[in-house]
Amino acid sequence: MRTFNFYAPTALDEALELLRKTDGGRPIAGGTDLVVQMKEAATKFPHPSSIISLLLIPELNGIEFDESTGLRIGATSTMSDIADSADIREHYPSIAEGAGIVGSIQTMNMATVGGNLCNGAPSADTAPPFLVHDAEFVITGPNGRRSLPADEFFVGPGETALAPNELLVEVRVPAPADRSGSAYVRHTPRKQMDIAVVGVAAAVTLTNDDRIENIRIALGAVAPTPVRATKTETFLSGQPASDESFAEAAETAAAECNPISDVRGSAEFRRHLVGTLTKRMLERAANRARGG
Amino acid sequence: MAQETKTRDKAGDSEYTAVGKPTIRIEGVGKVTGQTKFADDLTFPHMLHAKVLGSPHAHARVKSVDTADARQHPGVEAVIAAADLPAYKMNPSNRRGVIFAVDEVLFQGQPIAAVLASDPHVAEEALALIKVEYEPLTAVTDPISAMEDGSPLVRSAISDVDRSEEKGHVTIDVEQEEAEGAPSNIASKINFSRGDVEAGFAEADCVVEQTWRSAMVHQSYIEPHATIADFDNSGELSVWTSTQAPFYVRDELCQTLGIHESKIRVTATEVGGGFGGKIFLTELITAALAIVVKRPVKYIMSRKEDMLAATPAPFAQVELKTGMKADGTLVALKARLIYDSGAFPGAPVMPGCLFVGGYYKCPNLHIEGFEVLTNKVSVGALRAPGAHNATHAIESHMDIMARELGLDPLEARMKNAVEEGDPLPSGQPYPRIGLKDCLRAISESDVWKRRREVEGQANRGVGVAIGGWIGGLQPASAIVGLNGDGTIDVTVGSADISGTNTSFQQIAAEVLNVPLSSVNVTTGDTKTAPYAGMSAGSKTTYTVGKAVKLAAEDAKRQMLDIAAQRFEASPDELSVADGKVHLDGDDDKVLTFARLGKMTTNFGARFAPVVGRGTMSTRKSAPGFSAQAAEVEIDPDTGAITVLGYAIVQDAGFAINPLSVEGQMQGGASQGLGIALSEEMKFDEEGRLLNANLLDYRLPTTRDLPPIETIIVEVPSEEGPYGARIIGEPSIVPGGATIANAVADAIGVRVTDIPITPERVLRALGKL
Repeated sequence: MRTFNFYAPTALDEALELLRKTDGGRPIAGGTDLVVQMKEAATKFPHPSSIISLLLIPELNGIEFDESTGLRIGATSTMSDIADSADIREHYPSIAEGAGIVGSIQTMNMATVGGNLCNGAPSADTAPPFLVHDAEFVITGPNGRRSLPADEFFVGPGETALAPNELLVEVRVPAPADRSGSAYVRHTPRKQMDIAVVGVAAAVTLTNDDRIENIRIALGAVAPTPVRATKTETFLSGQPASDESFAEAAETAAAECNPISDVRGSAEFRRHLVGTLTKRMLERAANRARGG
Repeated sequence: MAQETKTRDKAGDSEYTAVGKPTIRIEGVGKVTGQTKFADDLTFPHMLHAKVLGSPHAHARVKSVDTADARQHPGVEAVIAAADLPAYKMNPSNRRGVIFAVDEVLFQGQPIAAVLASDPHVAEEALALIKVEYEPLTAVTDPISAMEDGSPLVRSAISDVDRSEEKGHVTIDVEQEEAEGAPSNIASKINFSRGDVEAGFAEADCVVEQTWRSAMVHQSYIEPHATIADFDNSGELSVWTSTQAPFYVRDELCQTLGIHESKIRVTATEVGGGFGGKIFLTELITAALAIVVKRPVKYIMSRKEDMLAATPAPFAQVELKTGMKADGTLVALKARLIYDSGAFPGAPVMPGCLFVGGYYKCPNLHIEGFEVLTNKVSVGALRAPGAHNATHAIESHMDIMARELGLDPLEARMKNAVEEGDPLPSGQPYPRIGLKDCLRAISESDVWKRRREVEGQANRGVGVAIGGWIGGLQPASAIVGLNGDGTIDVTVGSADISGTNTSFQQIAAEVLNVPLSSVNVTTGDTKTAPYAGMSAGSKTTYTVGKAVKLAAEDAKRQMLDIAAQRFEASPDELSVADGKVHLDGDDDKVLTFARLGKMTTNFGARFAPVVGRGTMSTRKSAPGFSAQAAEVEIDPDTGAITVLGYAIVQDAGFAINPLSVEGQMQGGASQGLGIALSEEMKFDEEGRLLNANLLDYRLPTTRDLPPIETIIVEVPSEEGPYGARIIGEPSIVPGGATIANAVADAIGVRVTDIPITPERVLRALGKL
């Protein structure tokens, strides 16, 4: 690793000012992506001359849930904070499932949700769950605050909608409707300490007669960004929550995704997994919606 | 000599007081509490850090190296390229004989130049300022097509190949036919024949022919290569390095740099994992840099460098045809083994050829081995180098043939298994071995016994396989001294990579009949320690342990002689117990070791110090075998494999420290499971490594590994201390085949390549 300056501001304004002043300075939270990239000289941006820690900024921290307004997760909340949150586990199980499998226990104690999202990896495990829960990302920067829906945040591999010197402040997630459930799973060669070859999240809201009233499916690691499977969602809307419709949805999802072949798996393998895992996540989400 | 076999019970009962008892490793507490000092923990005044620039290309001509800008970088003390090196005996045919690539780079990551600075981060910054002009050449990456006439050449011709390091891992008299004649990528060939193989196939009721592949894998020790070197004004070279082979490092530095062995001090620092890969790599470059700057130089490889440019284990393709009679008799075996050596010779195709036809009696065999060069990093040893690749093939065949003939896979193996006197493919007869004992013991393992229960359950299966290793042989010596306070010091020259110093403590305590706490074991440096071979080839306990036993016996003899003079008795009437010498039958005549210590070290003492000396050399190997069984479950929709249970049996000869032996068995089995399931170095068509990190190069984690049942059997070796035989390596050998056989049992189809990944499972099932 090369030399760099290190700053640890205690206020958000101060952090924004430092980002502006240091020119090429990078924000850091848990560092589980950034430090590894810097050590391997594999950053997608020039090697940063300054590192600005966000961990001492109170405004970026904390997890709050309210039955009517929903969930707020501060950007520096760790994966462990999220995976261990009783509220998230109960109301947004896919988010807890995504956060609870990032790296090792040590990684989860350091890695933050802001880092996981802003790193912009197509395989980020918290991204598909936020997509299926219609999350909004609150951003601040030189030109003030703005808010973006999750599906507009991811732009390309390693690229997000963050403008230069902008920071993610928090993620807001609406309260789920009654008879709703969500689930996330990924395929990895190892049982832990790994990265998704394919990740699939699903969130469903069921009618009283077990039809699909609302459906979201999101896929990780099969496109340049985490993506919604919109054709599959359209197909499933209004369908009965049955084996048959889930099986057909699985085929639709496999057909509509657009994976590449790389060192972690072939496109063919990924497409197959999208089908298998979509069906499994639809079943799991529907069971949860039914109170199972 | 009667052969006594037993399966060790966990209590470790025996007539001995120290050996054979589960003993906590001497160095264990320091390692788990973080107190152990590894090479990177050492620092010296005026020390410089080296960072090395590696080639981004797998094959290119180096047109120029411009270090001017890097030299100007603030904080940089020196930039050293090939032209700046001290004179050394370069041998372009050997990896160990080339410090920096001169005209041609042969693999990605091959060192080009180094930067030295007091601050390692500054040195790294300056690397980016070195300008190298390359002319890319065709990278030859596939060893199979590289063998064909007309293939582009990997490199200029090789000659004068030095195979001394390989001999440390497996010592056997087999000649490799070195390449000669027209330029070719084939570095060497091996040929073994016996009987009439075609007549054998004609006799067979079942003939199976299949091609098997096993991936290039990396030792993936926790600690990457790490070396510090210092060359002082008196002309003495000191090297502190993470090596399994301090004396070998000394000898190589002597030959390459032209410094007398007596002027080189190599200290083997605690090795953070070696597995055959920590023999000799960063020592030469670090020493050369230290000679240039006359200051201590530290070179620690990054994980990425280590994955790109250390010495991993080869990809191999094994084309195997075997024939069996209906009664299970193996009658013919024909094999062609191709090992990818990377850019320099050194692939362990010879052990592969020995073991593909060396586990079973087979009257007719024909085995050909090829060591093929490619533009990849050159390979080295990984725990029983070359054996797992060949074992994967032959052990899969044994299963397939047994299944086709309706035979029990263990029975089929038992019927053909080699015993004492049976020849290896090279003709050498086996000494006493315990293969059949291992087969009997695995049939009693919990995993194998669950086989009946698992049968018929969809997507679950149980498999079994065997594997073995011959081991290396090198002379060894040891010193056992009595201190003034009656404690015992054991000094050896072998690096302790597997708990051997603890076994030496037990051996000395056993001979001298003292508690373990009275015995201290030190690995000395090459100027102070008695000679030992490299801690490789599983030979350390077998050879150095024997020397320690002889040295302790010599020390005991000296102590008894002194006591005999004191008591005016004959040494025959004396014995040692509880830290005392006793005159038999007279309870008043005792001499404590502390008293003896004083009598041999005090001012004006009458007796000379007690210094026991043990030296040994043997040409008799003590091969070790292992049998393993696995239970697996397959997810047929994702291809995911879960190993539900695993059992390993190993013949230890005599387990001096059963805790260490079990640790070796579990560790080797775990590495075997990594080779079977997830470890694979992947290269693109230009010869660039795609997964030079421990995320995409997947070692099994604790959650990937099942509980491992260990069963030690003991068929004593003829020459090892207390009957101990080689321990470290056999455990890694059968894993690939064991899992392959279990997976085939579960899903009814064969995956012919290891690692058996989910994607390969789905392909075998026809789902992709």
